[in-house]
Amino acid sequence: MADDLVRMAGIYKSYGPVMALDGVDFSVRENEIVGLLGDNGAGKSTLIKILSGTVSATRGDIFMRGKKVEIRNTTDAIALGIETIHQDSALVVQLSIARNLFLGREPLIGPAFLNRMDKRTMNEVAGKLLKEIGIKKDIPATTPVSSLSGGERQAVSIARALHFDSDLIVLDEPTNNLGVEETQGVMRFMRGARDSGHSLIFIAHNIHHVFQVVDRIVVLRRGKVVANDVDPKQTTIEAVEEIITGMPVG
Amino acid sequence: MNSTLKPSSTHPGSVLIQRLTSTPEFLPFTLVVVLTVVFAALTPHFLSRGNLSNLLAFTPELGMIALGMTVLMTSGEFDLSVGSVFGFTPVLMWTLFNEGVASLEVALMIALVVAVGIGFVNGWFVTRLKIPSFLVTLGMMMTIRGVALYTTSGFPQRTWRAESWLMDIVAGSFYIGEFRLYASIFWFIGFALLLGYVMTQSRVGNWIQAAGGNAVSARARGVRVAQTKTWLFMLTAFMAAYAGITSSIRVAAANPNSGTGYELEVIAMVVIGGTALAGGRGTILGTVLGVLMLRMMRNGIVLIGVPGLAYNIFIGVTILTMMALQSYLARRHPSGSG
Ligand SMILES: Nc1ncnc2c1ncn2[C@@H]1O[C@H](COP(=O)(O)OP(=O)(O)OP(=O)(O)O)[C@@H](O)[C@H]1O
Ligand SMILES: [Mg+2]
Repeated sequence: MADDLVRMAGIYKSYGPVMALDGVDFSVRENEIVGLLGDNGAGKSTLIKILSGTVSATRGDIFMRGKKVEIRNTTDAIALGIETIHQDSALVVQLSIARNLFLGREPLIGPAFLNRMDKRTMNEVAGKLLKEIGIKKDIPATTPVSSLSGGERQAVSIARALHFDSDLIVLDEPTNNLGVEETQGVMRFMRGARDSGHSLIFIAHNIHHVFQVVDRIVVLRRGKVVANDVDPKQTTIEAVEEIITGMPVG
Repeated sequence: MNSTLKPSSTHPGSVLIQRLTSTPEFLPFTLVVVLTVVFAALTPHFLSRGNLSNLLAFTPELGMIALGMTVLMTSGEFDLSVGSVFGFTPVLMWTLFNEGVASLEVALMIALVVAVGIGFVNGWFVTRLKIPSFLVTLGMMMTIRGVALYTTSGFPQRTWRAESWLMDIVAGSFYIGEFRLYASIFWFIGFALLLGYVMTQSRVGNWIQAAGGNAVSARARGVRVAQTKTWLFMLTAFMAAYAGITSSIRVAAANPNSGTGYELEVIAMVVIGGTALAGGRGTILGTVLGVLMLRMMRNGIVLIGVPGLAYNIFIGVTILTMMALQSYLARRHPSGSG
């Protein structure tokens, strides 16, 4: 237990009659990438929304580094170092890339009462991050997000999580709609983040992507954890598919 | 190159033109220039000292409301009660003073605080009870106008008994040579600079745009959307109240009917200026130009002899045309916020 960065214990969540999560125990260790797998509606997004404060659990506890924490809203989660990239992209399309990257945590310059954003730093850092994540085109950081492609938008969200050095970065289907090269960029970024001391949760339907990058696989089926410690190096994609669907893959 | 640019724009000159036309301030600016030329050509009175001075006296009053409305609309809300607050606040202030309840200075403070309270109630209904601002502020508009009319039985409050430094500071006038200038123009410029700074340079400005652009993701970033919007309702009410007081001093009467219909004219000014009706994008400079443009129209078409009864047709058609153009331009070239 000493190694757990986050531990969710006995999590239940019901939406009326729908039991989205049915007594889930789930933990993430320091310095690892956990792949969270499961079919549509298995409860993956619900579980990580509880972690990021956008949904509250019906029952259950959350511990960070062994200490019980309350996550009532997104501000709590951010303060605890949990950064989430939601499935339904979370950018303000009217704002520039740089303004989105720093939204809610804009650096200030000059006397505090002026409340003045340090736009120069914002644009510089944003420009650097975009290059790092492998956006080839030379897109200025002042470009509004509305004129970016779906993949480029995803990249901006990821760049944001990485930049703020969150302890835990949660990615809900970040590689959806991405081209081959952009997907590789995301993977490279995830590995880099882990190697520099972060932990990550990676949700994806493409098991090949998951196998390429994660250290451990957890499988949810209809709101329950059905496999908790699958090592991708010790198993095959077919075996994991069987666990996900609960029947032999023919 | 900027990815918003069309591939056809390879010629450097045409790139520059596209840049220019893609800024939301382009349209109102062009029209201010065109109107000045046209009216000046049609009537020598338009650029006369007296008329310009007149124009500069009226403009700040609606203009100050429009400034507040710009910021509020950028956050995705709007306020239909500004005209009523514009009428009610000076009535309250002068009643307190005339009845001997308070000195003019104290009466002014009380009236402004009450106005900010009205804004707070608007904000509370919209953000906490989640009722659309259209309904909330429509209800508030009727309530406040009703209070102003009922308490005064519809009669204007006199202001001539007052002699105070305050009146000079808020709405005094003085002559530069033979040119009569009102203090309100400086307040208008000051508020415009301040709010322009807030919108483009400050962190709060980024939150305001985010709240109007995508409230859900703004909240996910930890932006306090409800609080921000409530503050802006209070700001808008304050600006409307201050404008109303300014006007009452200039015309030496507080009429419970004044400000009727201002809400729509102000919203038109803001949208013509290039602020998005749906929120997320706003420009103070555009609003200043939009205010100038509509005020010049009103003033100019009277001078060139359009019959008084016909002139609302002119204004209405202009507003519709401008809004259509503005939304067309906005869709063609989304412009960023550096
Ligand atoms: N807001 C909601 N109201 C009612 N039911 C919901 C709500 N959100 C999720 N559910 C239900 O909870 C269950 C789990 O949904 P969840 O979004 O967590 O699945 P998921 O594993 O992320 O699926 P996907 O892979 O399709 O994204 C589903 O049955 C879903 O219909
Ligand atoms: Mg999901």
